[in-house]
Amino acid sequence: MISNQELDNLIICKKCHTLHEKVPLHNKRKALCSKCNIVMYQHDDKIVDKTLALVIAAAISLIIAFQFTIVTINIQGLEQSLTLSSLFTVIGEHEQYVVGIMFLFLIVLFPIAIIVSMLILLTLMKTKKGGYLSKRLLILIAHLRPWSMVDIFFLSLLVAMVKLFDYANIELGVSFVAFIFTLILDIIITKSIGFYELWEIHNEIYGQIDE
Amino acid sequence: MSNYEHLIRCHICEAVNIDHSQNKKCRRCQSPISSDLTISYHKTLAFLITAMILYIPANIYPILISKQLGINSESTILGGIIHLWEAGSYPIALIILVASVFVPLLKFILIIYLLITSKYKNYSSKIDKHKLFYITEAIGPWSMVDVFVVIILSVLIHFSGIKIYPGSGATAFALMVFFTMISALSFDTRLITKKIDIYKKGKSINAHS
Repeated sequence: MISNQELDNLIICKKCHTLHEKVPLHNKRKALCSKCNIVMYQHDDKIVDKTLALVIAAAISLIIAFQFTIVTINIQGLEQSLTLSSLFTVIGEHEQYVVGIMFLFLIVLFPIAIIVSMLILLTLMKTKKGGYLSKRLLILIAHLRPWSMVDIFFLSLLVAMVKLFDYANIELGVSFVAFIFTLILDIIITKSIGFYELWEIHNEIYGQIDE
Repeated sequence: MSNYEHLIRCHICEAVNIDHSQNKKCRRCQSPISSDLTISYHKTLAFLITAMILYIPANIYPILISKQLGINSESTILGGIIHLWEAGSYPIALIILVASVFVPLLKFILIIYLLITSKYKNYSSKIDKHKLFYITEAIGPWSMVDVFVVIILSVLIHFSGIKIYPGSGATAFALMVFFTMISALSFDTRLITKKIDIYKKGKSINAHS
Protein backbone atom coordinates (compact mmCIF):
# COMPACT_ATOMS: atom_id res chain seq x y z
CA MET A 1 0.00 0.00 0.00
CA ILE A 2 1.13 3.51 -0.77
CA SER A 3 0.42 6.13 1.87
CA ASN A 4 -1.44 9.36 1.14
CA GLN A 5 1.73 11.36 1.62
CA GLU A 6 3.53 9.35 -1.02
CA LEU A 7 0.54 9.78 -3.33
CA ASP A 8 0.70 13.55 -2.81
CA ASN A 9 4.23 13.48 -4.15
CA LEU A 10 3.08 12.00 -7.43
CA ILE A 11 1.36 13.69 -10.32
CA ILE A 12 -0.29 12.35 -13.47
CA CYS A 13 -0.09 14.47 -16.61
CA LYS A 14 -3.54 15.63 -17.70
CA LYS A 15 -2.79 15.12 -21.38
CA CYS A 16 -0.94 11.82 -21.67
CA HIS A 17 -1.51 10.37 -18.16
CA THR A 18 2.17 9.69 -17.56
CA LEU A 19 3.06 9.30 -13.90
CA HIS A 20 5.66 11.72 -12.55
CA GLU A 21 7.29 12.30 -9.21
CA LYS A 22 6.92 15.88 -8.08
CA VAL A 23 9.95 18.11 -7.65
CA PRO A 24 9.87 21.24 -5.50
CA LEU A 25 9.98 24.35 -7.67
CA HIS A 26 11.52 27.76 -7.16
CA ASN A 27 9.38 30.85 -7.41
CA LYS A 28 7.87 31.44 -10.88
CA ARG A 29 9.05 28.15 -12.35
CA LYS A 30 7.00 25.63 -14.26
CA ALA A 31 7.18 21.85 -14.36
CA LEU A 32 6.61 20.28 -17.78
CA CYS A 33 5.56 16.75 -18.62
CA SER A 34 8.51 14.69 -19.83
CA LYS A 35 6.45 13.01 -22.57
CA CYS A 36 4.26 15.76 -24.05
CA ASN A 37 5.79 19.02 -22.76
CA ILE A 38 2.53 20.38 -21.37
CA VAL A 39 2.70 22.49 -18.18
CA MET A 40 1.80 20.22 -15.27
CA TYR A 41 2.20 22.60 -12.35
CA GLN A 42 3.92 25.85 -11.48
CA HIS A 43 4.87 27.76 -8.43
CA ASP A 44 4.33 31.39 -7.52
CA ASP A 45 4.42 32.74 -3.97
CA LYS A 46 1.83 35.44 -4.55
CA ILE A 47 -0.49 33.50 -6.85
CA VAL A 48 -3.63 33.95 -4.69
CA ASP A 49 -3.29 37.74 -4.58
CA LYS A 50 -2.50 38.01 -8.28
CA THR A 51 -5.35 35.76 -9.36
CA LEU A 52 -7.80 37.50 -7.03
CA ALA A 53 -6.96 40.82 -8.69
CA LEU A 54 -7.41 39.31 -12.15
CA VAL A 55 -10.70 37.66 -11.19
CA ILE A 56 -12.11 40.94 -9.83
CA ALA A 57 -11.15 42.64 -13.10
CA ALA A 58 -12.72 39.78 -15.09
CA ALA A 59 -15.93 40.03 -13.03
CA ILE A 60 -16.22 43.76 -13.69
CA SER A 61 -15.64 43.39 -17.41
CA LEU A 62 -18.11 40.50 -17.59
CA ILE A 63 -20.80 42.63 -15.92
CA ILE A 64 -20.11 45.43 -18.44
CA ALA A 65 -20.14 42.93 -21.30
CA PHE A 66 -23.59 41.71 -20.33
CA GLN A 67 -24.99 45.15 -19.60
CA PHE A 68 -24.42 47.25 -22.71
CA THR A 69 -24.65 47.04 -26.48
CA ILE A 70 -22.28 44.57 -28.13
CA VAL A 71 -22.63 45.72 -31.74
CA THR A 72 -25.03 47.92 -33.66
CA ILE A 73 -25.63 47.48 -37.37
CA ASN A 74 -27.00 50.07 -39.72
CA ILE A 75 -28.55 49.07 -43.04
CA GLN A 76 -29.73 52.08 -45.07
CA GLY A 77 -30.85 54.02 -42.02
CA LEU A 78 -32.38 51.02 -40.23
CA GLU A 79 -30.65 50.28 -36.94
CA GLN A 80 -30.54 47.13 -34.88
CA SER A 81 -28.34 46.46 -31.90
CA LEU A 82 -27.25 43.28 -30.18
CA THR A 83 -27.58 43.29 -26.41
CA LEU A 84 -28.23 40.45 -24.03
CA SER A 85 -31.87 41.50 -23.55
CA SER A 86 -32.55 41.94 -27.29
CA LEU A 87 -30.97 38.52 -27.81
CA PHE A 88 -33.39 36.75 -25.50
CA THR A 89 -36.46 38.70 -26.68
CA VAL A 90 -35.74 37.74 -30.30
CA ILE A 91 -35.08 34.10 -29.40
CA GLY A 92 -38.38 34.09 -27.50
CA GLU A 93 -40.16 35.70 -30.45
CA HIS A 94 -38.86 33.01 -32.80
CA GLU A 95 -39.85 30.32 -30.27
CA GLN A 96 -36.42 28.67 -30.28
CA TYR A 97 -36.65 27.64 -26.65
CA VAL A 98 -34.11 24.79 -26.64
CA VAL A 99 -31.42 26.97 -28.20
CA GLY A 100 -32.43 29.86 -25.93
CA ILE A 101 -32.07 27.84 -22.75
CA MET A 102 -28.72 26.42 -23.88
CA PHE A 103 -27.60 29.94 -24.71
CA LEU A 104 -28.71 31.23 -21.31
CA PHE A 105 -26.72 28.55 -19.49
CA LEU A 106 -23.60 28.35 -21.68
CA ILE A 107 -23.06 32.06 -22.27
CA VAL A 108 -24.57 33.75 -19.23
CA LEU A 109 -25.18 31.58 -16.17
CA PHE A 110 -22.17 29.25 -16.20
CA PRO A 111 -19.53 31.94 -16.84
CA ILE A 112 -21.06 34.12 -14.11
CA ALA A 113 -21.18 31.13 -11.74
CA ILE A 114 -17.51 30.34 -12.43
CA ILE A 115 -16.36 33.93 -11.88
CA VAL A 116 -18.42 34.32 -8.69
CA SER A 117 -17.18 30.99 -7.29
CA MET A 118 -13.58 31.93 -8.10
CA LEU A 119 -14.10 35.26 -6.37
CA ILE A 120 -15.50 33.66 -3.20
CA LEU A 121 -12.89 30.87 -3.29
CA LEU A 122 -9.89 33.19 -3.55
CA THR A 123 -11.29 35.55 -0.91
CA LEU A 124 -11.69 32.57 1.44
CA MET A 125 -8.16 31.45 0.66
CA LYS A 126 -6.83 34.93 1.29
CA THR A 127 -8.55 35.20 4.66
CA LYS A 128 -7.84 31.50 5.42
CA LYS A 129 -11.42 30.74 6.41
CA GLY A 130 -14.12 28.30 5.36
CA GLY A 131 -12.20 25.15 4.43
CA TYR A 132 -15.29 23.10 3.64
CA LEU A 133 -16.94 25.79 1.49
CA SER A 134 -13.79 26.36 -0.54
CA LYS A 135 -13.56 22.64 -1.21
CA ARG A 136 -17.15 22.56 -2.50
CA LEU A 137 -16.44 25.61 -4.66
CA LEU A 138 -13.36 23.96 -6.18
CA ILE A 139 -15.44 20.91 -7.10
CA LEU A 140 -18.21 23.14 -8.52
CA ILE A 141 -15.76 25.06 -10.71
CA ALA A 142 -14.26 21.82 -12.02
CA HIS A 143 -17.74 20.65 -13.02
CA LEU A 144 -18.73 23.92 -14.68
CA ARG A 145 -15.48 24.62 -16.52
CA PRO A 146 -16.15 22.62 -19.73
CA TRP A 147 -19.57 24.25 -20.10
CA SER A 148 -18.51 27.88 -20.26
CA MET A 149 -18.55 29.08 -23.86
CA VAL A 150 -17.89 32.83 -23.81
CA ASP A 151 -14.82 32.40 -26.04
CA ILE A 152 -16.82 30.47 -28.62
CA PHE A 153 -19.55 33.11 -28.50
CA PHE A 154 -16.94 35.77 -29.26
CA LEU A 155 -15.60 33.86 -32.27
CA SER A 156 -19.19 33.49 -33.52
CA LEU A 157 -19.66 37.22 -33.08
CA LEU A 158 -16.62 37.89 -35.28
CA VAL A 159 -17.86 35.44 -37.92
CA ALA A 160 -21.31 37.06 -37.92
CA MET A 161 -19.78 40.52 -38.26
CA VAL A 162 -17.65 39.48 -41.22
CA LYS A 163 -20.77 38.00 -42.84
CA LEU A 164 -22.61 41.30 -42.44
CA PHE A 165 -19.65 43.46 -43.40
CA ASP A 166 -20.70 43.85 -47.04
CA TYR A 167 -24.31 44.81 -46.36
CA ALA A 168 -24.22 46.95 -43.27
CA ASN A 169 -22.36 49.56 -41.28
CA ILE A 170 -21.15 47.98 -38.08
CA GLU A 171 -20.56 49.99 -34.92
CA LEU A 172 -18.81 48.29 -32.03
CA GLY A 173 -20.35 48.85 -28.63
CA VAL A 174 -18.90 49.11 -25.15
CA SER A 175 -19.62 45.45 -24.46
CA PHE A 176 -17.53 44.36 -27.42
CA VAL A 177 -14.41 45.81 -25.79
CA ALA A 178 -15.50 44.39 -22.44
CA PHE A 179 -15.79 40.94 -24.04
CA ILE A 180 -12.23 41.19 -25.35
CA PHE A 181 -11.01 42.15 -21.85
CA THR A 182 -12.91 39.28 -20.25
CA LEU A 183 -11.37 36.80 -22.68
CA ILE A 184 -7.82 38.09 -22.26
CA LEU A 185 -8.18 37.98 -18.46
CA ASP A 186 -9.65 34.49 -18.67
CA ILE A 187 -6.68 33.29 -20.73
CA ILE A 188 -4.21 34.82 -18.24
CA ILE A 189 -6.04 33.26 -15.28
CA THR A 190 -6.20 29.76 -16.79
CA LYS A 191 -2.54 30.02 -17.86
CA SER A 192 -1.28 31.12 -14.45
CA ILE A 193 -3.36 28.92 -12.17
CA GLY A 194 -4.81 25.46 -12.71
CA PHE A 195 -6.87 23.18 -10.54
CA TYR A 196 -3.72 21.45 -9.45
CA GLU A 197 -2.25 24.61 -7.94
CA LEU A 198 -5.60 25.57 -6.42
CA TRP A 199 -5.81 22.23 -4.63
CA GLU A 200 -2.19 22.51 -3.50
CA ILE A 201 -2.93 25.92 -1.97
CA HIS A 202 -6.08 24.48 -0.42
CA ASN A 203 -4.04 21.71 1.19
CA GLU A 204 -1.44 24.17 2.39
CA ILE A 205 -3.95 26.49 4.01
CA TYR A 206 -6.55 24.12 5.38
CA GLY A 207 -4.32 21.15 6.14
CA GLN A 208 -4.38 17.66 4.74
CA ILE A 209 -7.40 15.62 3.72
CA ASP A 210 -9.89 15.06 6.50
CA GLU A 211 -10.74 11.40 6.49
CA MET B 1 7.29 -0.11 -10.55
CA SER B 2 4.44 -2.62 -10.71
CA ASN B 3 2.99 -0.84 -7.70
CA TYR B 4 2.41 2.25 -9.78
CA GLU B 5 0.36 0.50 -12.45
CA HIS B 6 -2.98 1.01 -10.75
CA LEU B 7 -2.66 4.67 -9.88
CA ILE B 8 -5.33 6.85 -11.43
CA ARG B 9 -6.02 10.55 -11.65
CA CYS B 10 -9.20 12.05 -10.24
CA HIS B 11 -10.79 13.99 -13.10
CA ILE B 12 -12.17 16.65 -10.75
CA CYS B 13 -9.26 17.58 -8.46
CA GLU B 14 -6.38 15.87 -10.32
CA ALA B 15 -5.19 14.03 -7.20
CA VAL B 16 -3.42 10.70 -7.64
CA ASN B 17 -5.49 7.82 -6.27
CA ILE B 18 -5.03 4.09 -5.86
CA ASP B 19 -7.48 2.20 -8.02
CA HIS B 20 -8.95 -0.81 -6.23
CA SER B 21 -12.43 -2.11 -5.69
CA GLN B 22 -12.87 -0.71 -2.16
CA ASN B 23 -11.76 2.73 -3.23
CA LYS B 24 -14.84 4.29 -4.78
CA LYS B 25 -14.20 7.93 -3.94
CA CYS B 26 -11.33 10.30 -4.52
CA ARG B 27 -9.27 10.69 -1.34
CA ARG B 28 -9.19 14.47 -1.70
CA CYS B 29 -12.48 15.69 -3.17
CA GLN B 30 -14.72 12.64 -2.56
CA SER B 31 -15.90 12.62 -6.17
CA PRO B 32 -16.69 9.15 -7.46
CA ILE B 33 -13.63 7.86 -9.30
CA SER B 34 -14.27 4.19 -9.63
CA SER B 35 -17.59 3.75 -11.36
CA ASP B 36 -18.28 0.49 -13.16
CA LEU B 37 -16.35 0.48 -16.42
CA THR B 38 -19.10 -1.31 -18.33
CA ILE B 39 -21.60 1.35 -17.22
CA SER B 40 -19.23 4.09 -18.37
CA TYR B 41 -18.76 2.27 -21.68
CA HIS B 42 -22.48 1.95 -22.32
CA LYS B 43 -23.26 5.50 -21.23
CA THR B 44 -20.64 6.87 -23.61
CA LEU B 45 -21.96 4.70 -26.42
CA ALA B 46 -25.60 5.67 -25.76
CA PHE B 47 -24.89 9.41 -25.74
CA LEU B 48 -22.72 9.04 -28.83
CA ILE B 49 -25.50 7.25 -30.74
CA THR B 50 -27.97 9.98 -29.67
CA ALA B 51 -25.58 12.61 -30.98
CA MET B 52 -25.07 10.76 -34.25
CA ILE B 53 -28.82 10.45 -34.78
CA LEU B 54 -29.22 14.17 -34.09
CA TYR B 55 -26.48 14.93 -36.60
CA ILE B 56 -28.80 13.76 -39.43
CA PRO B 57 -31.63 16.31 -38.87
CA ALA B 58 -28.98 18.93 -38.09
CA ASN B 59 -27.74 18.56 -41.65
CA ILE B 60 -31.05 17.92 -43.42
CA TYR B 61 -33.17 20.67 -41.88
CA PRO B 62 -32.36 24.32 -42.52
CA ILE B 63 -30.21 25.97 -39.88
CA LEU B 64 -31.09 29.44 -41.15
CA ILE B 65 -34.29 30.78 -42.73
CA SER B 66 -34.28 34.24 -44.22
CA LYS B 67 -37.56 35.98 -45.00
CA GLN B 68 -37.25 38.81 -47.49
CA LEU B 69 -40.46 40.57 -48.59
CA GLY B 70 -42.51 37.48 -47.95
CA ILE B 71 -40.17 35.12 -49.79
CA ASN B 72 -38.56 32.40 -47.65
CA SER B 73 -35.14 31.07 -48.44
CA GLU B 74 -33.69 28.28 -46.36
CA SER B 75 -30.12 27.14 -46.06
CA THR B 76 -28.61 24.08 -44.44
CA ILE B 77 -25.13 23.93 -42.93
CA LEU B 78 -23.48 22.56 -46.07
CA GLY B 79 -25.53 24.88 -48.30
CA GLY B 80 -24.42 27.85 -46.23
CA ILE B 81 -20.76 26.84 -46.51
CA ILE B 82 -21.02 26.40 -50.29
CA HIS B 83 -22.78 29.77 -50.57
CA LEU B 84 -20.03 31.46 -48.54
CA TRP B 85 -17.32 29.80 -50.62
CA GLU B 86 -18.93 30.94 -53.86
CA ALA B 87 -19.34 34.45 -52.48
CA GLY B 88 -15.59 34.54 -51.89
CA SER B 89 -15.43 34.61 -48.07
CA TYR B 90 -13.00 31.71 -47.91
CA PRO B 91 -11.77 32.18 -44.31
CA ILE B 92 -15.31 32.26 -42.90
CA ALA B 93 -16.31 29.28 -45.03
CA LEU B 94 -13.30 27.39 -43.67
CA ILE B 95 -14.06 28.29 -40.04
CA ILE B 96 -17.65 27.09 -40.40
CA LEU B 97 -16.56 23.98 -42.32
CA VAL B 98 -14.05 23.00 -39.64
CA ALA B 99 -16.28 23.90 -36.69
CA SER B 100 -19.55 22.38 -37.82
CA VAL B 101 -18.54 19.52 -40.14
CA PHE B 102 -15.03 18.33 -39.31
CA VAL B 103 -15.09 18.75 -35.52
CA PRO B 104 -18.30 16.71 -34.91
CA LEU B 105 -17.19 14.00 -37.34
CA LEU B 106 -13.72 13.88 -35.78
CA LYS B 107 -15.32 13.58 -32.36
CA PHE B 108 -17.56 10.71 -33.47
CA ILE B 109 -14.59 8.88 -34.99
CA LEU B 110 -12.33 9.44 -31.97
CA ILE B 111 -14.91 8.28 -29.42
CA ILE B 112 -15.81 5.23 -31.54
CA TYR B 113 -12.12 4.38 -31.88
CA LEU B 114 -11.52 4.73 -28.12
CA LEU B 115 -14.56 2.57 -27.36
CA ILE B 116 -13.62 -0.16 -29.84
CA THR B 117 -10.02 -0.34 -28.70
CA SER B 118 -11.13 -0.57 -25.08
CA LYS B 119 -12.96 -3.80 -25.87
CA TYR B 120 -10.57 -5.52 -28.22
CA LYS B 121 -6.87 -5.98 -28.43
CA ASN B 122 -5.29 -2.69 -29.34
CA TYR B 123 -2.06 -1.84 -30.99
CA SER B 124 -1.76 1.87 -30.33
CA SER B 125 0.03 3.03 -27.22
CA LYS B 126 -1.81 4.17 -24.11
CA ILE B 127 -0.14 7.55 -24.22
CA ASP B 128 -1.41 8.18 -27.75
CA LYS B 129 -4.92 7.19 -26.72
CA HIS B 130 -4.81 9.49 -23.70
CA LYS B 131 -3.74 12.29 -26.01
CA LEU B 132 -6.59 11.48 -28.39
CA PHE B 133 -9.07 11.70 -25.54
CA TYR B 134 -7.56 15.01 -24.45
CA ILE B 135 -8.08 16.35 -27.99
CA THR B 136 -11.66 15.01 -28.01
CA GLU B 137 -12.47 16.94 -24.86
CA ALA B 138 -10.74 20.11 -26.03
CA ILE B 139 -12.37 20.44 -29.46
CA GLY B 140 -15.89 19.55 -28.29
CA PRO B 141 -17.57 22.89 -27.64
CA TRP B 142 -16.10 24.63 -30.71
CA SER B 143 -18.76 23.17 -32.98
CA MET B 144 -21.29 25.49 -31.33
CA VAL B 145 -19.90 28.34 -33.49
CA ASP B 146 -22.45 27.88 -36.27
CA VAL B 147 -25.44 27.87 -33.91
CA PHE B 148 -24.22 31.04 -32.18
CA VAL B 149 -23.62 32.75 -35.53
CA VAL B 150 -27.18 31.98 -36.62
CA ILE B 151 -28.58 33.32 -33.35
CA ILE B 152 -26.53 36.53 -33.57
CA LEU B 153 -27.61 37.03 -37.19
CA SER B 154 -31.26 36.43 -36.28
CA VAL B 155 -31.03 39.14 -33.61
CA LEU B 156 -29.25 41.66 -35.85
CA ILE B 157 -31.26 41.09 -39.03
CA HIS B 158 -34.65 41.71 -37.49
CA PHE B 159 -36.40 44.34 -39.61
CA SER B 160 -39.91 44.50 -41.02
CA GLY B 161 -38.67 43.96 -44.58
CA ILE B 162 -36.09 41.26 -43.96
CA LYS B 163 -35.79 38.77 -41.15
CA ILE B 164 -33.55 35.84 -40.34
CA TYR B 165 -34.83 32.92 -38.25
CA PRO B 166 -32.89 30.05 -36.75
CA GLY B 167 -34.32 26.89 -38.30
CA SER B 168 -35.00 23.56 -36.64
CA GLY B 169 -31.57 22.41 -37.80
CA ALA B 170 -30.04 24.79 -35.28
CA THR B 171 -31.88 23.11 -32.40
CA ALA B 172 -30.83 19.66 -33.59
CA PHE B 173 -27.24 20.82 -33.99
CA ALA B 174 -27.09 22.41 -30.53
CA LEU B 175 -28.46 19.22 -28.98
CA MET B 176 -25.96 17.17 -30.98
CA VAL B 177 -23.05 19.18 -29.53
CA PHE B 178 -24.55 18.82 -26.05
CA PHE B 179 -24.75 15.04 -26.36
CA THR B 180 -21.23 14.64 -27.77
CA MET B 181 -19.94 16.63 -24.79
CA ILE B 182 -21.90 14.48 -22.34
CA SER B 183 -20.59 11.41 -24.14
CA ALA B 184 -16.97 12.55 -23.75
CA LEU B 185 -17.56 13.44 -20.11
CA SER B 186 -18.99 10.02 -19.28
CA PHE B 187 -15.99 8.29 -20.86
CA ASP B 188 -13.86 6.89 -18.04
CA THR B 189 -10.14 7.23 -18.85
CA ARG B 190 -9.53 3.87 -17.19
CA LEU B 191 -11.18 2.34 -20.28
CA ILE B 192 -7.91 3.23 -22.03
CA THR B 193 -5.67 1.33 -19.64
CA LYS B 194 -7.92 -1.60 -18.82
CA LYS B 195 -9.90 -4.01 -20.90
CA ILE B 196 -13.53 -4.38 -19.92
CA ASP B 197 -13.71 -8.19 -19.89
CA ILE B 198 -10.82 -8.53 -17.47
CA TYR B 199 -12.40 -6.06 -15.13
CA LYS B 200 -15.71 -7.93 -15.18
CA LYS B 201 -14.07 -11.23 -14.27
CA GLY B 202 -12.22 -9.60 -11.37
CA LYS B 203 -15.46 -8.12 -10.13
CA SER B 204 -17.37 -11.41 -10.10
CA ILE B 205 -14.58 -13.07 -8.11
CA ASN B 206 -14.86 -10.29 -5.56
CA ALA B 207 -18.59 -10.82 -5.31
CA HIS B 208 -18.23 -14.56 -4.64
CA SER B 209 -15.56 -14.33 -2.01
